[in-house]
Amino acid sequence: MSSNTPSSSAAAAAAGSVDPSAARRNSKRPKYSKFTQQELPACKPILTPGWVISTFLIISVIFIPLGVISLFASQDVVEIVDRYDTACIPPSDRANKVAYIQGAANKSCNRTLTVPKEMKQPIYVYYQLENFYQNHRRYVKSRSDSQLRSVKDENQIDACKPEDDFGGQPIVPCGLIAWSLFNDTYTLSRKNQPLAVNKKGIAWKSDKEHKFGKNVFPKNFQKGNITGGATLNPKIPLSEQEDLIVWMRTAALPTFRKLYGKIETDLHKGDTIEVNLQNNYNTYSFSGKKKLVLSTTSWLGGKNDFLGIAYLTVGGICFVLALAFTVMYLVKPRRLGDPTYLSWNRIPGGR
Amino acid sequence: MVRSGSFHVDSSSASHRRTPSRTVTLGHIQPQAPSYRTVYCNDRESNQPVRFKGNSISTTKYNVFTFLPKGLFEQFRRIANIYFLGISCLSMTPISPVSPITNVAPLSMVLLVSLIKEAFEDWKRFQNDMSINNSTVEILQDQQWISIPWRKLQVGDIVKIKKDGFFPADILFLSSTNADGICYVETANLDGETNLKIRKALERTWDYLVPEKAYEFKGEIQCEQPNNSLYTFTGNLVAQKQTLPLSPDQLLLRGCSLRNTEYIVGAVVFTGHETKVMMNAMNAPSKRSTLEKKLDKLIITIFCVLVTMCLIGAIGCSIVTDREDKYLGLHKSDWEYRNGLMIGFFTFFTLVTLFSSIIPISLYVSIEMIKFIQSTQFINRDLNMYHAETNTPASARTSNLNEELGQVEYIFSDKTGTLTRNLMEFFKCSIGGISYGCGVTEIERGIAQRHGLKVQEEQRSTGAIREKGFNFDDPRLMRGAWRNEPNPDLCKELFRCLAICHTVLPEGDESPEKIVYQAASPDEAALVTAAKNFGFFFYRRTPTMVHVRESHVEKMGKIQDVAYEILNVLEFNSTRKRQSVVCRFPDGRLVLYCKGADNVIFERLGNGTDDIRKVTREHLEQFGSSGLRTLCLAYKDLNPETYDSWNEKFIQAKSALRDREKKLDEVAELIEKDLTLIGSTAIEDKLQEGVPTCIETLSRAGIKIWVLTGDKMETAINIAYACNLINNEMKQFVISSETDAIREAEERGDQVEIARVIKEEVKKELKKSLEEAQHSLNTVAGPKLSLVIDGKCLMYALDPSLRVMLLSLSLNCTSVVCCRVSPLQKAQVTSLVRKGAQKITLSIGDGANDVSMIQAAHVGIGISGMEGMQAVMASDFAIAQFRFLTDLLLVHGRWSYLRICKVVMYFFYKNLTFTLTQFWFTFRTGFSGQRFYDDWFQSLFNVVFTALPVIVLGLFEKDVSASLSKRYPELRASMRSRPKVPKK
Repeated sequence: MSSNTPSSSAAAAAAGSVDPSAARRNSKRPKYSKFTQQELPACKPILTPGWVISTFLIISVIFIPLGVISLFASQDVVEIVDRYDTACIPPSDRANKVAYIQGAANKSCNRTLTVPKEMKQPIYVYYQLENFYQNHRRYVKSRSDSQLRSVKDENQIDACKPEDDFGGQPIVPCGLIAWSLFNDTYTLSRKNQPLAVNKKGIAWKSDKEHKFGKNVFPKNFQKGNITGGATLNPKIPLSEQEDLIVWMRTAALPTFRKLYGKIETDLHKGDTIEVNLQNNYNTYSFSGKKKLVLSTTSWLGGKNDFLGIAYLTVGGICFVLALAFTVMYLVKPRRLGDPTYLSWNRIPGGR
Repeated sequence: MVRSGSFHVDSSSASHRRTPSRTVTLGHIQPQAPSYRTVYCNDRESNQPVRFKGNSISTTKYNVFTFLPKGLFEQFRRIANIYFLGISCLSMTPISPVSPITNVAPLSMVLLVSLIKEAFEDWKRFQNDMSINNSTVEILQDQQWISIPWRKLQVGDIVKIKKDGFFPADILFLSSTNADGICYVETANLDGETNLKIRKALERTWDYLVPEKAYEFKGEIQCEQPNNSLYTFTGNLVAQKQTLPLSPDQLLLRGCSLRNTEYIVGAVVFTGHETKVMMNAMNAPSKRSTLEKKLDKLIITIFCVLVTMCLIGAIGCSIVTDREDKYLGLHKSDWEYRNGLMIGFFTFFTLVTLFSSIIPISLYVSIEMIKFIQSTQFINRDLNMYHAETNTPASARTSNLNEELGQVEYIFSDKTGTLTRNLMEFFKCSIGGISYGCGVTEIERGIAQRHGLKVQEEQRSTGAIREKGFNFDDPRLMRGAWRNEPNPDLCKELFRCLAICHTVLPEGDESPEKIVYQAASPDEAALVTAAKNFGFFFYRRTPTMVHVRESHVEKMGKIQDVAYEILNVLEFNSTRKRQSVVCRFPDGRLVLYCKGADNVIFERLGNGTDDIRKVTREHLEQFGSSGLRTLCLAYKDLNPETYDSWNEKFIQAKSALRDREKKLDEVAELIEKDLTLIGSTAIEDKLQEGVPTCIETLSRAGIKIWVLTGDKMETAINIAYACNLINNEMKQFVISSETDAIREAEERGDQVEIARVIKEEVKKELKKSLEEAQHSLNTVAGPKLSLVIDGKCLMYALDPSLRVMLLSLSLNCTSVVCCRVSPLQKAQVTSLVRKGAQKITLSIGDGANDVSMIQAAHVGIGISGMEGMQAVMASDFAIAQFRFLTDLLLVHGRWSYLRICKVVMYFFYKNLTFTLTQFWFTFRTGFSGQRFYDDWFQSLFNVVFTALPVIVLGLFEKDVSASLSKRYPELRASMRSRPKVPKK
């Protein structure tokens, strides 16, 4: 059209692209990238009935067999548990157990265990303590790792109060944990034949090699007024005191088992095992329980039904849900992407 | 991270910004005192005793020594940091179950990150200051120009500024290389206007240009104390025993630059922080998002949970331990195990330390980081919000309001420049009672379409001229055809008035095709362009003359150059609403030309032209209803005697030191009366691209849009119609001050009476409207409502007694239009909704008059890429076009809100699971407070191990795609009604 005056066409040209390179140089146009334009590939699964039902089905199909297998594994484990804390106190002294355990009487006690099933070696011997807060904050920190590790640091006993020193001399090993070392002992026999319990190799290898020194020997141990637990042979270095090493690895929960030793022969069904035990350890002042446990292991560890039950529960719930959704889908199907369900299409109070 | 905008501000404008603390100190010395300062020019010794401030500026928050204490103080103003400091202290004591590292490490990491950020930002500011302070300027020393850095400049120094140089301080303009002692300055840094302004030196000082002469200049400037008013300056120059009045015309402000002038010489008046631009610098009040405030409440709730957990643990511990005090030999231990109460007390603090991680330490830092990336990477770089024509990308000037965008319920929009283009085109005019111009506006077309009428295609006459600012077509006026019209004389006066009565500067070649008009407002440029096209070509302005090339005046086809001597300019301001020029024709005729708002002009008309007046009024209404902006033009012949006596008064007023403005207004009143009406002009104000669609989308998203404009009611309503804000199905409530009752009261003239009457009327109207509104809301499917109210009524409606009524009425309306409102009222309306209705508000505007509204709203948005930086400087987000609000609110705001909500939930989820495991374990350790996790694991859990997933979620989470959320704006409404963060 001829209506454009020269000036306006010049202005239009100036506004437009006169010199593309110059325009590009001065352009503040943001550079394109998928990140800044928020166009990075992404997916968001839409939970259609098919997806949901098949996911639940798959989970139940995987989980239920797993649970069954775990339960069987746990069932295979043969476990003999014998609680002896009350039984090993003579009936006359049961009114005042603490006085008995602190007294000087003979604490020897005999228990008889019957093997319910064939038990393959190795059979682990545990002691189980209950209501014993080995995880108590003041108990856990009452030890000196550096002292245990090397002779040089035997004076590092700050954390060990109140079992830190004896008459100005440091206690090795110091602290409440070591002081309260478990000291019941078990002697096992079968058909009047002693049953060997191997007490070697019950501690962690790393503990023996790195955490407990080969040249650290017990010193001034259990010399105080109140004896907490076991005494240690001052001639044997800490790295060889495996009972101590096991004990020093504190349990996380108030009910725990600690390895006492291993029986390296098979036990047969119906065998009776005589246990002669020295009931020395005082759990009576805090009403703790003591149990002796003999147990085999499976590929899944000791006897524990939890894992199997957990698998079965989750698998079962998923199966029920899958069934329920299938029924719902068949009975009352709903069209996918039905816009009438959108909030703005629903008349408040209507429908 | 908070002020991302600081990185984008160029060095010159960065000097305007300043830390809040600085503003506070300056606020105290706001010099409204009557005292004035005396500056001895070219005489450093005499100025010595007064101790004026130096010219170096500092906008930094810290210096080397204050950085650590002050920076840490700033950090610890955050309640969460104080909390973690307390926890860290606790963890140093023996009662702590965790090693100090657990709490100290994350805290120091968080502090370090924040401090590094602060230091980095401050370093940038410092470098900026240094580069400004060290730029050089030439000053006069011993008859020579010597270069010194800006910071060494002192008050009273004589400086020389070359072409395109920035003024280092506020300078009194003495002389220039241009003839007539004028110079041109660009004030873009101050007000964003790109047109050049003329500054004129006093005639007495024109000679002091070369060093030898300037050396002799010894003067004394008495002027006002430093203040922040950019457009006023009063003072006197006492030189050679003469007192000369000074005006803003002689003041060159720091921040401006010299254009089209080889060099100028001036005397420094205000330096450094006392310059007007620095006194003006202020930070927008820092805004915190509502979500962040909600977060604080959430954290307090979580803290209460923490205390409860610790109390349970403490009580449990005191019971358990007290009962079994012989347990494991603990009875032998320290004094804190003496009795149950003590045990409980200490265990409480042990557990506080243990459970401290329930409050996520890195929450704030992570959220800041997420928002920073969101704003700098996503918002600033969104190609959908890049405006190619003005080459402006969107810019988030602060990153802490991203998610607020997703919750906005009310938008307050300016009209001019925001909804409309501020692109003015001369469209119609009315001369002597005859209406000219046959175009059809878009608004008229829109109205016609809504009425179902067919719009006929525009018939353009073949010779029609179309250029920027001129879209007028009527053969009756073009090419001298006006000579055959009934009122050729009035036509001539109209064209002359358009060509003479303005403050436009011509630039470039003096030919009609190549000339560029520099005008303060696009209206003015459009009017001068119109005059040019009518054959009255204004081509040259000197300080005293206006040169016009007139065609067809004496006879068809004759072209002659006429120079009109401009005797006085009575400038436009918002109270006067008019502008006048007194000029002398070459033949000695004295004429006052006046143009202004219709009501102002009609008030000042003389007797005798009632019929023209009536017809013109009708035309004005017609123009207004087609969405055109109107101006009335009038003139008056003066006789020399009355003029001379008036001119004396004018000069007196002009040299007044105090209340100069007011006095000038009063003097102007004396001569601007008994005018003769020429006619009126109508200018089309074009809508911005995509505005109606954008508004429709936003209202579907459940956002209500209010238009606040200074325009007339008719224009405002029409723009509202054109924007789809109001339509005919809506029920309209109009509360106007243009009613008979109010007019009657106004004619009686008693101010108190007027106020009472208006208030009564407004109250009555409000009550009636409210009743109707409630009635129609109760009926099913009642019409949507809209409210139109004008500024005068609004003033009374905002009165505390009526405010509640106004609020409940306006909240029931889908759209509200407030017209003829002042900037203050804009802010008042915004805070009315913000505070009164507790809704999230957003203000959008482009001009200086929108600044207060932008600052008053939760989110302020400035329109960038056009003239005027002030709105942008005050805003939180700057976008180039109104239509980008769709993207900003529906895409970025919505996503940001969704993401931040999810991030917060995620944070609390992971920290609750982390801590509740601890809590459960506490029951299994005899409430002793033994820790469940390793020290390092606990300390790094928040700041390292789980930091990335949260941030990734905060950046990439999407529920629906961008296109879907724009196509279904209702999605946003549904999201807002269901709060993602639980209200606590």
